Amino acid sequence: MAKHIEKAPLEYSMCTGCVSCEMVCSMVHEGYVSPQTKRLFFKAGPVKTMLHEIYTCQQCDDHPCYEACPKKDEAMCIDENGIVYVNEKNCIGCGKCAKACKFTPSRIHVVKSKDKEERKAKKCDLCRTRPEGPACVQWCPFMCLAVSDRLPWEERQETDQS
Amino acid sequence: MQRLDGYAGKILRINLTDSSTEELSTWDYLPDYIGGRGICNKIFWDEVPKGVGAFDPENKLIFMTGPTTATGIPTGGRAVMTGISPCTLPEQYSYGSIGGWIGTVLKYAGYDGFILEGKAPAPVYLLIEDDKVQFLDASPIWGQVVSVTQESIRLAHGADIHSMVIGPAGEHLHRNASITTSNDNTFARAGFGAVFGSKNLKAMAFRGSGKIKAADMEKVFELRKTVGRPERQPNPPVMRESMGHVSNSFPHQWKNGSYACSPGCNSRCQRLLMDSKSPFTGGKVSQTEKCVSVLAFNYTYEHPWGASLFVLDEKNPRTLGQQKSFPHGPDKTDPDWEICSEVYKGDRMDLWGPDFDRGALMMELANEYGIDKWEMIIHYFTWLAMAKKEGLLTDLDFGMEVDVENPAFVRHFIDSMTYRTGIGDIFAEGMARAIRTLGKEKYGDTIYQGRVNQDGVRLDIPVSLEAAWGYSAHWQGRGFQSTPKWLWVANALNTMVNTRDCFNSGHMHVTPDDVRQFLADGPSYSDLLIQRVMENEGASMIKDSVTTCEWQSPDIVWHDMELQMYQAATGDDSMTKEKLDEFAVRSRLLYRAILMRNFGRCRDLEAENVYPFLTYPDPWGEVDTWDEWNDTVDRYYKANHWDPATGWPYRETWERYGLKDVADEMEKLGMLPSPGQAYQRKPDPSVRQEV
Ligand code: SF4
Ligand code: SF4
Ligand code: SF4
Repeated sequence: MAKHIEKAPLEYSMCTGCVSCEMVCSMVHEGYVSPQTKRLFFKAGPVKTMLHEIYTCQQCDDHPCYEACPKKDEAMCIDENGIVYVNEKNCIGCGKCAKACKFTPSRIHVVKSKDKEERKAKKCDLCRTRPEGPACVQWCPFMCLAVSDRLPWEERQETDQS
Repeated sequence: MQRLDGYAGKILRINLTDSSTEELSTWDYLPDYIGGRGICNKIFWDEVPKGVGAFDPENKLIFMTGPTTATGIPTGGRAVMTGISPCTLPEQYSYGSIGGWIGTVLKYAGYDGFILEGKAPAPVYLLIEDDKVQFLDASPIWGQVVSVTQESIRLAHGADIHSMVIGPAGEHLHRNASITTSNDNTFARAGFGAVFGSKNLKAMAFRGSGKIKAADMEKVFELRKTVGRPERQPNPPVMRESMGHVSNSFPHQWKNGSYACSPGCNSRCQRLLMDSKSPFTGGKVSQTEKCVSVLAFNYTYEHPWGASLFVLDEKNPRTLGQQKSFPHGPDKTDPDWEICSEVYKGDRMDLWGPDFDRGALMMELANEYGIDKWEMIIHYFTWLAMAKKEGLLTDLDFGMEVDVENPAFVRHFIDSMTYRTGIGDIFAEGMARAIRTLGKEKYGDTIYQGRVNQDGVRLDIPVSLEAAWGYSAHWQGRGFQSTPKWLWVANALNTMVNTRDCFNSGHMHVTPDDVRQFLADGPSYSDLLIQRVMENEGASMIKDSVTTCEWQSPDIVWHDMELQMYQAATGDDSMTKEKLDEFAVRSRLLYRAILMRNFGRCRDLEAENVYPFLTYPDPWGEVDTWDEWNDTVDRYYKANHWDPATGWPYRETWERYGLKDVADEMEKLGMLPSPGQAYQRKPDPSVRQEV
């Protein structure tokens, strides 16, 4: 898997359920807040646990979502860093990518709307065009999120890249 | 009204009697009433006449968010509910504020708020998904405890559904019943859970798919760096070696976690007792806990607490929610550090000794039955403990021996009042009403002999810690949370013009210089103190309307935080700090108008309701005399431009804030005093006639 967003284990930081991650994700991409336009998915834990889950795109090497897209390379695209992203201009909202995602729940959400123009696939693009990097990582107040090649809770040694 | 960003634009009216709904326009209430409690007050004033009781179908529960809700502005996730409260004594219009996901999801569904009215013919729960409202049969979940109800709703409608529900206490019209969100936030203090019960409403569940746009996204991100607790820091659960607070602590191993109350918040004020035991399944649960709960575990001392909750300055501006685990700790180079950090020591009370499991049991029963924890711990159980020690309970049949240290009794008593069995039926009416049914003189006013201050001096305190309007003490200087006189006089004034414990958003914030001035003036004779009380009441109204969070708002050192939030959300640049303050006075006046018209609110009621508790000594032996208290009340009314004789605003006062229609109505009701009317102070009502 290419780099992707990961959630911290409980011992490092407990997710507070603030959903700031979902909100800022929508805010930086769309300029507003909506449960339909976030690209990562908060799932509240069973009642009386307060142990929540965050689901994000894993940026799979074989990316079946990309393969399933009828407008491959126009709508579902892969950039030079291997990031699978949606070029919304060309997305027809067919939802084939969301179905093809190998994870449950799917890491792609297709906006449901009466307005056909709004029916676009939303998936994590690692905020690829954002100079500050992933917004969810930057704005999670409790450092629960990180990009998988740089997980503060793993304290990795920088090893030689071969 | 020109449309503003930040709002959803509609308010949903839900009639439970005939299962109908209607949409109102939020714009009809803007810009004069902002949102939250402001709009609630206006709707209630317009719609609910005199003579309606808490459990009448004509009572309305009005839920409102603010323009900041669902915009990404931290703390904007909070919401409010108002209506006639069954637990305030007598029943009056009251309010509560709440975190949870409901406010945000409601806005996604397209509504800034909703009005609940009427009474369903049979138990129902509501499912609101965008503009689709369903009235569903609640018989399968009626009778279930809170968590089972929530889980059933999740199972039926999906894990992304957000609910608020009542437990058995609300169904049985326990006057302290709460409404609980799916992340364990509650409307508890006003007893609105019982109003749900009276309307045959078990739960409401929400899902929304719309969008909310803030006007100034750059500003929203800036506020995320300046409001609340902006330092990024991991939040691991921590193993604690002791439970309790300062002098109440005792050794106990437990796992402490924390979470945020509402969407978008960057703080985590809610404490979790992770891995505590469920009294129902015996399994492990993460139990939500907040400040008062420490006393459930051990009540040997009256709560001691630091001045820093109330006394802030530029160097130490930390508010309530930021006290805990602030990464950099306090700034002790502050020359005023001593005054900011003073600890007000509590009295020895000896009500019950340390026991983690018994405390967790008491709280979990409150969580699951849906009962206000505050009244449970500070009113019911303190009374049981003190009355038992004073030998008052021998004639009452509790069904088993009263022993607040025995977990079996704790469960038995809470069960009995939840389900109204045996003597529990009397207690389900709320502590204040129960005391009056039993006989207040004996069961309420008998002095507990076991209160001793830090110098070993025994101090009088009645066995019932009722402070005002039927509520137990909260920051009233004695009985619970020792505070110096300047602070309890201020809190008494705020409580006096209220209908409830006002600390959902009404903690006083003052500066060290203010405190010096209060002491120089004398707390009962300080115009600055009066001014600060009024500002604080205004700040509370603004917080509950914009909306933001009391626990994160350092208002005394950051005066325009709420203004910045409002502007970032709405884009309304014509709003100024002065106009926002004007709104606060307008909304407070409307609150007063409701209390006057519907409940006959006047000076005598107010001054006499609050006074008795002020006659018991605080930890330093200080009391208020009738004359001192009335001098303070005079000052306060005059500063508000209200008639000191009646406590009623003059026409000019109403009109200055755009409330001519209210003034006209008051005139019709004979409640419009003219300035300069003579006023004869009444004699001290607490002086008993010799028989
Ligand atoms: S921002 Fe962080 S703490 Fe908040 S919900 Fe997302 S992962 Fe959890
Ligand atoms: S959307 Fe699903 S399938 Fe596609 S890369 Fe992400 S995780 Fe893999
Ligand atoms: S990296 Fe960017 S796009 Fe992906 S979930 Fe986080 S904020 Fe959204």
